[in-house]
Amino acid sequence: MLNDLHSIKDLAGDEIEKSDSLRQVQELRIKYLGKKGIITGRIKSLGAVSPEDRRNYGQLLNEVKTYIEDLLCRSEKTFKAAELNRTLQTQRIDVTLPGYFIPPGHLHPTTQVLDEIVDVFTSLGFHVEEGPEVELDFYNFEALNMPKDHPARDMQDTFYITDDVVLRTHTSPVQVRIMKNNTPPLRVIAPGKVYRCDADVTHIPMFHQLEGFMVDKHITMSDLKGVLEVFIHKVFGTDTKLRFRPSFFPFTEPSAEIDISCVICRGAGCSVCKNTGWLEILGAGMINPRVFEMAGYDPEQYTGFAFGMGIERVAMLKYGIDDIRLFYENDKRFLEQF
Amino acid sequence: MKASYNWLREFVDFRLPPEELAHALTMAGFEVEGMSRTDNDAVFDINVTPNRPDCLSITGIAREISAILKIPSRSKQVDIRKQEGRGPEVEIGDTRLCRRYAARLITGVKPAPSPEWLIKRLEAHGFRTSLNIVDITNYVLLETGQPLHAFDLDKLSGRKIEVKTAGPVKKFHTLDNEDRDLNSEMLLIWDAEKPVALAGIMGGLNTEVSSSTVNILLESAYFYPSSVRRTSKSLGIASESSYRFERGADINNIVFALDRAAALIAEIAGGRISGLTDVYPGPSAARHVRISFEKINSVLGTVIPESFSEGILADLGFEVEREGGGFNVRPPGFREDIQTDVDVIEEIARLYGYDRIPATLPSIRMQPAPSGKKTGIIKPIKDSMTGSGFYEAINYSFFYPDALDKLNIPPADSRRDLVFIKNPLRKEESAMRTTLLPALLNNVALNINRGEKALRFFEVSRVFLPSNKSLPEEVVQMAAVCNQETSASLWQTRHDGFYDIKGAMENLFKVLRIRDFYLDQEISGLEPYLHPGKSCSIISGGDKIGSLGTVHPTVLEAFNIKGNLTVLEILDVEKLSRHISPGTTFLSLPRFPYVERDIAIVVFKDITAEQARNEISSIDSDLIESVTLFDVYTGKPIPQDRKSLAFSVRFRAADRTLTDAEVDSLHRIIVERLINKLNAELRS
Repeated sequence: MLNDLHSIKDLAGDEIEKSDSLRQVQELRIKYLGKKGIITGRIKSLGAVSPEDRRNYGQLLNEVKTYIEDLLCRSEKTFKAAELNRTLQTQRIDVTLPGYFIPPGHLHPTTQVLDEIVDVFTSLGFHVEEGPEVELDFYNFEALNMPKDHPARDMQDTFYITDDVVLRTHTSPVQVRIMKNNTPPLRVIAPGKVYRCDADVTHIPMFHQLEGFMVDKHITMSDLKGVLEVFIHKVFGTDTKLRFRPSFFPFTEPSAEIDISCVICRGAGCSVCKNTGWLEILGAGMINPRVFEMAGYDPEQYTGFAFGMGIERVAMLKYGIDDIRLFYENDKRFLEQF
Repeated sequence: MKASYNWLREFVDFRLPPEELAHALTMAGFEVEGMSRTDNDAVFDINVTPNRPDCLSITGIAREISAILKIPSRSKQVDIRKQEGRGPEVEIGDTRLCRRYAARLITGVKPAPSPEWLIKRLEAHGFRTSLNIVDITNYVLLETGQPLHAFDLDKLSGRKIEVKTAGPVKKFHTLDNEDRDLNSEMLLIWDAEKPVALAGIMGGLNTEVSSSTVNILLESAYFYPSSVRRTSKSLGIASESSYRFERGADINNIVFALDRAAALIAEIAGGRISGLTDVYPGPSAARHVRISFEKINSVLGTVIPESFSEGILADLGFEVEREGGGFNVRPPGFREDIQTDVDVIEEIARLYGYDRIPATLPSIRMQPAPSGKKTGIIKPIKDSMTGSGFYEAINYSFFYPDALDKLNIPPADSRRDLVFIKNPLRKEESAMRTTLLPALLNNVALNINRGEKALRFFEVSRVFLPSNKSLPEEVVQMAAVCNQETSASLWQTRHDGFYDIKGAMENLFKVLRIRDFYLDQEISGLEPYLHPGKSCSIISGGDKIGSLGTVHPTVLEAFNIKGNLTVLEILDVEKLSRHISPGTTFLSLPRFPYVERDIAIVVFKDITAEQARNEISSIDSDLIESVTLFDVYTGKPIPQDRKSLAFSVRFRAADRTLTDAEVDSLHRIIVERLINKLNAELRS
């Protein structure tokens, strides 16, 4: 009698394993577990089994039932999954069609470079300040130690509104404005537009500068070097070399011009660096005591440094832009590259 | 300033090859910007900064090389043994403008072309050559830095010189054959009757040395820098001579240069040299600068020994005495730029080598950044606009006022009050702009011209408005333009471009948290460059903060733009921050479900969606959570003068699940209100 159950189990296992569709599996379920199924029949006739055999027989019957049930479920699951998969395969789409989105715009390269530079200096504790673009001759020149008739004014071709009002030729006038209204310590950067009465292949009448200055007790020229080194390494990479050489600005003394090793040829010599391996990138120096006097500071008590740079120049070097006139033409094909 | 390697070697015995010498000069503050090689020589192009007129000469550069390389320099010896007769009569009428005037006569000269070595040297240094006498004055100018002038003595009336201003004389004919308009302050050189030169700038045609000249008067003088500069600027003449005088000549070198030139003329062009005339009230008191040892290193952040600094200063020709804890320094006469202790510090640093100054980071006192910066709003604006697909443009701040005509700006509009530039480069850039739009419209036209189609640009920049203060008012504005084609490929064509730009505005205001605003179609407030039916003002807190709309067809035509264009303009970006809603307060999340009902109504076309929405929202019930427009429809079967609006209304109670009966009753109230207030019909 127990043998009967063993052979049902073997047969069922065999049949379920050999089935090749969901339908066949479902038919087998009816055959074995349906109302008139083989296992169901055996359960119904359990009462006819002798009481001494019933316990063993019942236990085995239950095991066989569970076994068949499990096999059927597993098989059904497999066939259902395969069928769903077949259906999904037929719903195949062309993934190469363009996606749906509003194409993002672009910030102007000048803004991007300016933001990057501002971030470097704000991380060093500098604050951003602004000043007027139409500026008094006093702040643009005189307070910066460039009285009228000073030859240093030749270094900057000036647009005049009146004899006393100019379009600022640099962002340095912000220095004096900020100093006049604040007391040290000061750590300030002042980005903005500046204007020069000059236009040819390498010049445009409006461009951007960033002025930075720091005033406190015991600020030294070596601090200037340290701060600018951090800046250059952050923007152009730590393998960029710096070179400080003496120069002249009426509002700094000592004055320096800062070159960086050519970012195009890495110092080997190319047309961008005119085969010198160096690129001029910043003007800087220790704030001239005369500027402190103009701002009402005691030059014996305070020292400070100041620096300035042209943003387009930095952008051109960073991105390899070879014509400055492209910046403010606003050709979409130019703008969308950044 | 050009300087030849071989010429420099006549004054200093250096052995560095040209490249190394160029590097040494550059690193000492004399940037060699270029170098050209000629047979056996190299000519440097040196950028001499305006504070160093003493180096606008071969001897000046040679002195620097001597100090940099610590090799002694030598000078030319001039010895005029035979002098015939007295020097010319010279009178300085205005000692404020001329501090020294020296002259000699040279009689019996033979003007001719210069010898070849002289021609070669001048040409290598960028000078044109002429007669030997003139060439020699230029040669000595190059060598010594002192400008000289030779007059034809026989054309000098009274054979005398007077230095005085133009006074009543209005015109002067310079040797380049130009008539110059004088003002009374300009300093001239006169003979007994007439002006013969613009002092320190250019000689007159009337006394120019020519091939028939026999006798000359040679001038070597010191004219005040600011006087020469003013005259040179106002006449627009820049000469080698004026360039040096306006930066400052070396007053102690005047007689030497005169004698050097006189001797060379006698040697090359022949002639007899007269005695010397030297009108010089006397040197001004010697300048002393005191500097403490401590300050040198505290400014530079270095540990330069005192003796080292002392050596540098001595090499530069400074007289140095130790006094107390520092130096008492007397710079040479030609170093007018050395006025204060920091000037001396720069000299020490320059020759010590900037590269030897260490790089350190300053220790700083912490302080909070000033808060509430009005410019802080600019970054989120730019980020929002680029997020909406706009490209940031930056345009020049100047324009030409005809742009305002093209925008239909009426005559009395305040944007017609302009700040003009006195010396514009081009007419098109002659006034400071009062609106950002013309440039953006030009950007669109240029890009369309170059075949670009989908265009979205914005700019955040200042405009300039006249004010009664000393400077114009500078206001940061934002303007954006967008042509319809951008959205045509993404949205259905029934979408007018207006809703693209409006979407950008809504996104912008959402980012900025500006919630309290409305759009006003009141005609008198609309911009003249916008379509009167498709534009509006943006009002917040009672102020017009901007405009929005489709560009007027006549404006598009004026700017040569085909197709549609929409505009968003924010009039004062920095003031926008006033309209920002207060910070967020958390509302607890609802615990009960909502019920949603749709309401579709038919109204006359002039009823706006906003009006209908407001009617629904204004019903006095806590249970209406939101009202959302989901469809606008015109066309059959809706009558021509009407449209259908469909809203989805969401109801919710905070403390219970709403029953159908409650929602039905509210729905009825809404429908009745729309029917009564807006004359609406329920769409079946």
